[in-house]
Amino acid sequence: MNFAQQALNGLILGHAFALIAIGWTVLLGTARLVNFAHGQMYMIGAFVAWFVMSSWGLPYLLAVPAAMLAGVIIGWIMQATLLRLTIKQDLVSIMIVTLGFGHMLEGAAGLSFGSTGQILDTPLSLKDIYIGDLWITWQDVAIVIVTIAVFIALKLVLEKSRLGRLVRMVAEDPKLALLAGVDVRRVYLGVFAFEGAAVALAAAVVAPRTPILTSMGFQEVIITFVVVVLGGIGSVTGSYLAGLGLGFFTAFFGAYVSQAYATAAMFGVLIVVLALRPGGLAARAGGR
Amino acid sequence: MSAPETRPVLEAEGLEVRYGGNLALSVDRLAIAQGELVGVVGANGAGKSTLVNALAGWSRGEPKATGTVRLDGRDISGLRTPERVKAGLLLIPESRLVFATLSVDENLAHAAHPRHAQGRRAYSTDEIFDLFPNLASRRGHLGGQLSGGERQMLGIARALRLAPRALMLDEPSIGLAPRLVSTVLETIRALVDDGLTVLLVEQNVKATIPVVDRLVLLERGRILAQGPTAEMQDDPRIAEAYLGGAA
Repeated sequence: MNFAQQALNGLILGHAFALIAIGWTVLLGTARLVNFAHGQMYMIGAFVAWFVMSSWGLPYLLAVPAAMLAGVIIGWIMQATLLRLTIKQDLVSIMIVTLGFGHMLEGAAGLSFGSTGQILDTPLSLKDIYIGDLWITWQDVAIVIVTIAVFIALKLVLEKSRLGRLVRMVAEDPKLALLAGVDVRRVYLGVFAFEGAAVALAAAVVAPRTPILTSMGFQEVIITFVVVVLGGIGSVTGSYLAGLGLGFFTAFFGAYVSQAYATAAMFGVLIVVLALRPGGLAARAGGR
Repeated sequence: MSAPETRPVLEAEGLEVRYGGNLALSVDRLAIAQGELVGVVGANGAGKSTLVNALAGWSRGEPKATGTVRLDGRDISGLRTPERVKAGLLLIPESRLVFATLSVDENLAHAAHPRHAQGRRAYSTDEIFDLFPNLASRRGHLGGQLSGGERQMLGIARALRLAPRALMLDEPSIGLAPRLVSTVLETIRALVDDGLTVLLVEQNVKATIPVVDRLVLLERGRILAQGPTAEMQDDPRIAEAYLGGAA
C-alpha cells in the first residue's frame, strides 16, 4: 500500500466519519443531549435503503430520501418520548433510554431484515476510478461531495437563517429562549429529527463501502463520540476537521501499524488531545 | 408623568407559587393599567422575582404556580411561556438578558411575527437605535462582549422588538453604576410615556420612586401595601426600611 493511496483512503474515511457524526454534533451542541442509539439509527438507515432498493426496486436516488424519512420518524419518536427528560436535562436517564432505544432498534431490524449480512450495492459503488496506481469508487467521491455539501449547508443555515438563529438561541440558553417566545420543544423535536435524517443520509452514502449487518452500530457510535468530542462539543467546523483528522489517522494506523487496534488507537488520540486541550480541537459555543 | 387609564392590561388573581410544599408567593389581586409604570419593591426573598416569573409562566427552577393571570382581560394562565410572549407579555429576567453568542444585530433580529402582534407596537431596529444609540455602534459585537449597561439596553431592546403589551423587568439596575441606573430607569419611564405598560421589580427603592406611578410593597410573598407613589413613599414601612428614616 503506498502512501498516496492511504492518504486518499484517509480523506474518504475522514469525510465518512464527519458525515456520520454531524447529527450528533448538532444534537449535543443544541440540546446538550447524547443519543447512544445513533449507531443503530445508522444501521436502520442502511437497511431501509437496502430494503427499498432490493424489495421495492426503488432507484438509489429515491432510496436515500426513504432512509432519511425513516431517520426523521425514529428521531422524532425518540425525542417525543424523551421530551420531559430533555427539558429537565436529565442526562443519565437520557443515556439509559437511548441505549435501550438502540437495542430495540437492533431487535426490530433483526426481525424485519434478518440477521445475515447484506451488501448495499449502488450504481456508484460499482464504478471504479483509477488515477495512476490510485483506486477509488464513485461512491467514495459521493461521500466527499455529500459531506462537504451537508457541512456547508449546515453552516449557512446555522449562521445565516432564522431557523439557525433559533437553534443557537436554544443552544445557548433554552430558558431565555422561552422568554423570547421560542417554542423550545419544537426546536428539540426538529433537532432530533435532523439527527435522524443526517445519520440515515450518512448510512445511505457511507454504508455501501462495507457489508451491512443488523448488529452493526457500535463502531459508528464510537467514531461519532470521538469526532464530536475532539471537534469541540457542538462545533460544526470542529467536527469536520476532527472527522478528517481521524480518517487520516485510521487509514495510516491501519496500514502501517495494525487494523485490529485502530479503535483502541482512536481512543488513545482522544485521551491525548483532551489532556492537552480539554475543549477539543475547535471548541466553540453555540453549535457552530 | 402621564395619568394612567383605568383599564387593566395585566391582572393577577389568587396567584400562588409553591416550591415543593412551601408557599413562596400568595397574591390576592394585582392589576396594572394601560400606560402605567408599577414598581414592586421589597427585601431579598420577598417574592418579587417569583411574582414576575409566575406572571410570565417562567422559572429557572420548578415551582408550581396556581391562580389566574389575565392580559387585556384574556385568561392566559393556561398558556406556556412562549405563548404568553406571543400574546404580548414580556419578561426581562434578572442577570441573563441577552444571548451572549449572538451579535447585537442577531439579538435584535428576533422580532414578533406580525400575525401575533396585531394591534401592538413592535419597535423597528431604526427606532431601537434611536432609543439606544450606543447599540448602533456595537451592532456586530457579540452580546457577551457588551458592558453591563449595554446588555441591559439590549435586553430591553430585544423585548421591544417582540411587541410587548406589558413588559416586566426584574432588577434592571442590578450591577450597574449609579449613573447608568438612572439612565436605564429614565429610559423605562420614557417608554411608558410612549404608551408601554410596565411592571418593574427593583431593590433600589430610592432610584425607583422618582419614575414609577405606583408602588407595590411585597413582604414574605404577600402584598403588604400598594398605592400611588406619592402616598407610598410616606408609608413608614417603606420610609424606614428603604429610604433610611421615618416618614
